[in-house]
Amino acid sequence: MDAAIHTEDLTLSFGTEKALDGLTFEVDAGEVVALLGPNGAGKTTTVRLLNGLLNPDGGSSRVLGLDPATDGHLVRGRTGVMTEQSGLDERLTARENVVFTARMRGLSATAAGKHADELLERFGIADRANHRVQGFSTGQRKRVALARALLHEPEILFLDEPTAGLDPEATRDVLDLLASLAAEHGRTVLLCTHFLGEAGRLCQRMAVLHRGRLRAFGRPDDLAARIWRGVPVELDLGAPADERTLAAIRNGRGVLTAASSPTGARIEVEERAAIPPLVATLVQMEVPVFGAVPRPPTVEEIYFAIQEGAE
Amino acid sequence: MSATSTATAPRRLDAIRAIAAKDFTAVRRSKGVVIPMLVVPFMLLVVLPLGVGLAARSAHPPDVSTMLRDLPGGLSKPILHLPARQRLVTLVDGYLIAPLFLIVPLMLAAVLAADAFAGEKERKTLEILLHQPVPDRDLFFAKLISAFLPAILISWVGFLCFAITVDVTAWPVTHHLLVPSKLWAVVIFWVAPAVAALGLGVMVRVSARATSTQEANQLGGAVILPLIFLAVGQSTGLLLVTLPVAIGIGAVVWLIALWLVVRGARRFTRDRMSRTI
Repeated sequence: MDAAIHTEDLTLSFGTEKALDGLTFEVDAGEVVALLGPNGAGKTTTVRLLNGLLNPDGGSSRVLGLDPATDGHLVRGRTGVMTEQSGLDERLTARENVVFTARMRGLSATAAGKHADELLERFGIADRANHRVQGFSTGQRKRVALARALLHEPEILFLDEPTAGLDPEATRDVLDLLASLAAEHGRTVLLCTHFLGEAGRLCQRMAVLHRGRLRAFGRPDDLAARIWRGVPVELDLGAPADERTLAAIRNGRGVLTAASSPTGARIEVEERAAIPPLVATLVQMEVPVFGAVPRPPTVEEIYFAIQEGAE
Repeated sequence: MSATSTATAPRRLDAIRAIAAKDFTAVRRSKGVVIPMLVVPFMLLVVLPLGVGLAARSAHPPDVSTMLRDLPGGLSKPILHLPARQRLVTLVDGYLIAPLFLIVPLMLAAVLAADAFAGEKERKTLEILLHQPVPDRDLFFAKLISAFLPAILISWVGFLCFAITVDVTAWPVTHHLLVPSKLWAVVIFWVAPAVAALGLGVMVRVSARATSTQEANQLGGAVILPLIFLAVGQSTGLLLVTLPVAIGIGAVVWLIALWLVVRGARRFTRDRMSRTI
């Protein structure tokens, strides 16, 4: 599969401070990748470099086969961006904001108006299309901003903190929208966020940035395998495991670690195949087993393990 | 043509027009910008000549002959030759307001440029603008005309109001039209646009550093106000000078303004702006 985004040792400093330090990574066409990291990690700087707003001090990048440093406006013609601050002019209506961007992108007045109406309708904001953005909630602004980012059907979508400032309900709505957008037309999405739940829900691969450096890049499962030796399993025994039960678990074949939990035990095994004989042993001991579920580490657990390693 | 293919080759003029039209619409809806922009020209170009015209028509018009005799050289001769009742309106409406009028395009251009350049940063709309496929030069040009054209148009409308007010109020005293004249035409069509461009040139530079419209206006004011005082102090007799001298003054202002604008354009790059947001 062709790379939609490729960077090689991409570096940028603001004065003496390195905002991005030797970033090398690749995003396949149609892939959804999360760029994770705390504030100041270099996520927004990466998007600005990839869309040709900033010129790198070193290294190179290709976006859709183009160099953003020299062909920035061609790259920007094929990408859509939703910034953390929605970037809507509050003095204009929702429709005017979208039409304005469409006109800047070369659509005729008629086509821009038609396209804006369709997108605002699709994102559930049609009833407020002719209201000034000034009175909009953060969620409504995000929807308008998303409509604006998509009006030219971009091949790559850069989403910078798309759910920042949203309440849980609005976050769920926006994430639903993003999930459907990511699945559409094999669109490539680079999602910058420090909300790990949305990364886990939407992305196939994740890149973890820390103070401008890429600390890890890959599928959550692969990253977890690099951090942890085995497969975590949640054993539901109806009550915390006693010492006798824990000892039996620890003696089981392929069991790496075992600890009591409020509902039973949290264990780590070398591979999934170690679970059935372990359950059989417990049943033989007349320990009630209500469930034994392999529980892969969450994106949060992977992220924090990587960040702790980077500190 | 599909949306995608049109987007890869945006029509540059359309983009420029879209940005300028958006800025104009947005400014038109900002009371904080519109009211100061209209109050100053109204006071200067309507209230002042109205007061002067009414004073000249009163039973005892103010005597300006002592003041006229104090003016240097031959500046006052053309006025002193007039009947006493015509001297006030001719002096104020015909001569003194001309340099003051130049404040209008200067101020309008400065306020609009601050809104167009620094205002984008303040409203957090600059980044998304930079993410659009509009070349740096087109973006700069669009911003420039979105401040320049309204400044000139409002100045011209202001002058029209001024001319009507002056001629209507002064007619019973002068029995002829005071404005327009050839020299007023030079001021309106040559010097005023030059002064507006000068205001733009200053504000473009200032806005690159400022993070808000207010900061840009303060920084710009520090540069523009001395220019206003200098202009008013030095050019009180602008309309008494010959046509070529007035054209020359305009040409000098144009040169300075263009130098500032060209320098501003060179520094107006996405990379530079992205580092300030």
